[in-house]
Amino acid sequence: MSNKSSINWFKLNRNLHRDIGYFCVGLVIIFAVSGIAVNHKDDWNPNYKVSHQQISVSDETWQLDNDELLIEQIISHADVSEPVKASYWVSPQEFKVFLKNGNNLSLKLNKDIISYEAIEPRHVFQAFNRLHLNETNESWVIFSDIFAGLLLFLAISGLFMIKGKNSPWGSRSVLVIGGMLLPAAYVFL
Amino acid sequence: MFLKSKTFIAFSLALLSFSQHAFSLQFGNQVDSDKLIKISTVMASPDDYLASPITVEGTITGVCEKRGCWMTLASDKRFENLRIKVEDGDMVFPMTAKGSKAIVTGKLDKIQLSLGRTKALLAHKAQQAGESFDANSVTEAMAIYQLVPSGVEIIE
Repeated sequence: MSNKSSINWFKLNRNLHRDIGYFCVGLVIIFAVSGIAVNHKDDWNPNYKVSHQQISVSDETWQLDNDELLIEQIISHADVSEPVKASYWVSPQEFKVFLKNGNNLSLKLNKDIISYEAIEPRHVFQAFNRLHLNETNESWVIFSDIFAGLLLFLAISGLFMIKGKNSPWGSRSVLVIGGMLLPAAYVFL
Repeated sequence: MFLKSKTFIAFSLALLSFSQHAFSLQFGNQVDSDKLIKISTVMASPDDYLASPITVEGTITGVCEKRGCWMTLASDKRFENLRIKVEDGDMVFPMTAKGSKAIVTGKLDKIQLSLGRTKALLAHKAQQAGESFDANSVTEAMAIYQLVPSGVEIIE
């Protein structure tokens, strides 16, 4: 009578695929969402919501020789209550006032307008993008390397989870090959 | 009672220390204040400062919106500024830092433009300033200078 213990590789593979898959859910969501955001960064700023408002100021005598008075004039016209952080002459025709909350006002003398720029950070997307683009620290690079290894495992183990007519080795191999050919087509065509 | 006072003082000092650092953002290495030089001095003869690292300070007047990969510092001279440029992702400068003071240590980089690019750049600057521009008036190619930082400190 033999009591030979053998490993059920099929079951082990399925269990590992399941548990590692659960572990990767959060990371996949972060990388997928920030991937879409970064792909479209030319159309949409994923890190900040920046809006501009223009105020017409045609009949005004500006205190161009006194920056403090000029700031007061601009603040009064724009009707903002936020404290001032700094000011700067961009050119003889443009004066900027930076506010403590990160927003700023530009007086454009040649256009007779004050432009109010409001900057609102998108905190969740910023955090996702920082992780995706490895902008945090070196330990995250190591962790994301491990995550990449886990994704490789999920991809390969996925090929050995189903037996029979729905396995990827029969007619459904078309799907596997299609998934490989599609990126190849973008490279070579 | 004495112990409580000591705890209070220690807590206050810790809080003070935190509040001092909470408003300062550090990127890369520590800045080297011993190498501090005015931006106007650098821009007056930039070729003299290409060889070794320098430190400059100024108000942040612009930041790259998409990647935070550059910012401009106001010079101590009116209408002048210096661009601080990093490779994408090396340092990410926050847009909300506009108007804050920054101290930057790094190496000055010279980019020699062709005549065509010089005309295009000056035309763009004139357009932004709302001034007229005659491309035929430009007959010589120019160089632009930017600082590639090894360390940046932004003070709110």
